[in-house]
Amino acid sequence: MSIRRVRLVARREWNQRVRSTAFRISTLLSAAIVVALIAVPQMYGGGVTHTRTVGLVGESSSQVAGLLEASGERAALPVTARTFQDEHAADRALRSGDVDVLLVDRQSLVWKAEADGQLATIVASAVQAAELQRAIEHGGLSPDQQRLLRPPQLASRSLEPVSGERPAREGLAVIGLLLLFLAISVYGSSLLVGVVEEKSSRVVEVLLSRLKPTELLWGKIAGIGVVGLAQFAIVAATALITLQLSHDTQAPATTPATIGWTVFWFVLGFGFYAVLYGAAGSLVSRQEDAQSMTLPIGAVLLVGYLFSLEAIQSPDGVVALIGSFLPPTAPMVMIVRIASGAVPWWQIVLSALLMIGTTFAMVSLAGRVYTGAVLRVGRRVKLAEAWRGAEL
Amino acid sequence: MLEVRDLAKRYGDVIALDGATFSAEPGRIVGFLGPNGAGKTTTMRAVFGLIRPDRGEVRWRGAPVGPNERARFGYMPEERGLYPKMKVGEQLAYVAELSGLTRADAKGSVGQWLDRLGLGERANARLEELSHGNQQRVQLAAALVHDPELVVLDEPFSGLDPIGVASLAELLGQTAANGVAVVFSSHQLDLVEDVCQDVVIIDHGRIVVDGVVEELKAAAPRRSLQVDVDGEPWVPVLPSGTVTSKHDGEVRVLVDASVDLDEVLMYARKDGEVTRFTYEPPSLTDLFLEAVSAGRGAG
Repeated sequence: MSIRRVRLVARREWNQRVRSTAFRISTLLSAAIVVALIAVPQMYGGGVTHTRTVGLVGESSSQVAGLLEASGERAALPVTARTFQDEHAADRALRSGDVDVLLVDRQSLVWKAEADGQLATIVASAVQAAELQRAIEHGGLSPDQQRLLRPPQLASRSLEPVSGERPAREGLAVIGLLLLFLAISVYGSSLLVGVVEEKSSRVVEVLLSRLKPTELLWGKIAGIGVVGLAQFAIVAATALITLQLSHDTQAPATTPATIGWTVFWFVLGFGFYAVLYGAAGSLVSRQEDAQSMTLPIGAVLLVGYLFSLEAIQSPDGVVALIGSFLPPTAPMVMIVRIASGAVPWWQIVLSALLMIGTTFAMVSLAGRVYTGAVLRVGRRVKLAEAWRGAEL
Repeated sequence: MLEVRDLAKRYGDVIALDGATFSAEPGRIVGFLGPNGAGKTTTMRAVFGLIRPDRGEVRWRGAPVGPNERARFGYMPEERGLYPKMKVGEQLAYVAELSGLTRADAKGSVGQWLDRLGLGERANARLEELSHGNQQRVQLAAALVHDPELVVLDEPFSGLDPIGVASLAELLGQTAANGVAVVFSSHQLDLVEDVCQDVVIIDHGRIVVDGVVEELKAAAPRRSLQVDVDGEPWVPVLPSGTVTSKHDGEVRVLVDASVDLDEVLMYARKDGEVTRFTYEPPSLTDLFLEAVSAGRGAG
């Protein structure tokens, strides 16, 4: 095995692929999709952290302002109040979008256009609470009666530690999982197509008079893997920049870690699957047959995806645990488990070591199939024939 | 010197090579000839380690051939192929680097070879944009770009027009003159008769003729005779017997080398006006047919 020749093969893959129109278009498209996924919900005001402002006009006391904020908190919708002395100023603020609604004389709501049902309910309950408070104070009730009329204060506790970021973290993990799944199948198929191309264009014989089949296979895996990482880096950077620029959505604090883990498991997962794709590609000579070779590998990959969906539901369940140590499923299951909570470090180390060990063992097996099949042009080579044909 | 020793290879029931032995020397062109399926490609693949023979070995300068030796070999496979969408210059530089040249040396060599083959302007064109003939030239350059000490070309003349054959023959002559050992295969024996100095003829995996072309012809026991009388082919009746071959409407007769030409000419004149009378050493095809029939007779 010559590292120099492996590097030369990898460099060719990199140069040819990065310069291709397909790479540019798919990178731009992925970046655009990421930007859209982050920015579009904000444009439609769907962001949960968007604070609403209620403008108070006329006979609305400062008491209502405090109650509005409390009422909004109960409904998990941040609300602030702003008092206007002058009806015209309030009108301008509503039209310019500085306030979302005007409460006039505790009696009517004025909207710029469509009414927001949730906000209306919050304002109504705040007004009701204010009226109730006034009734309690001025109604000559005994302290016991007053206490009965006040809303009860229920104590609340959670069994597990609560992180306000948990849904966002899980969402991020699902994005990482999807990216991993897509990247492995897209770049794996691309490797397979590349191997078939070398067979169908017959360039493989020119190459193999100069290097060993395993050098060619490793070089292709490394080159395409780096292209995949570069594309991922561009998309991830785009996502982070978009998050920074968008003022009222905050990325969960675990974002860099999730990106790091996605890269880590992509390297291991792509290495494992790429060996399979490469060996499968060496069995066929025509692009028409290439499609049929991606199917069985895609099916294995899909099993990994299903395992990880189960792991999202119960990250500490038996399925998740088993999936963490099976090389075909480990990368996807581990991404989800690590994102959704604490995974013991020894499990991560063991899982990674198992993957690396299996991948190297498979290279010698798949390398043998590749060696035995890659020079046989024409009909599809049977696995057993390739195995016997490789005596190098 | 390249030595192929006792190579044998069997694919299932098919015997591809059956103890093939020959050698190729620096500065000389060896024509490795034989009909389709005789074992030429299998032999060449064995030289480049693309297949492992069941028996026998390949040596270069007295040592078994390994990756380091092969880095100084150039190979043009029968199935032509390079990357269709890769630029010609980059493609050649890539294979040169794979053969061990530094990046700078590879670029320099690519420039020289493209100029030499008249493709200097097309370095930045994709291979698929070139004409068929030019693609063949690039393929040839891929085998020569790293200035190898041994060049092996599998059927380099197939698909070439007469001008292409002549220019490739000239190029191979120049390459050999630079001290390179050149081996090429062909199934068209007569086409390449004048190109090679040495000839190795293979049939059914065995070498049936091996030697210097001129010596083999001179030592041949028969001569090729072509006589036309009144514009029609004429075949003499000789006590030593004749072998007649018809090819493209021409009739050639193999006669014993000791035949009395004056006598033959006299008989021919009795039958009419002699419009053609050629007498020459046998062609490679004749040598091949003789060797094959002799081999089968003995076997």
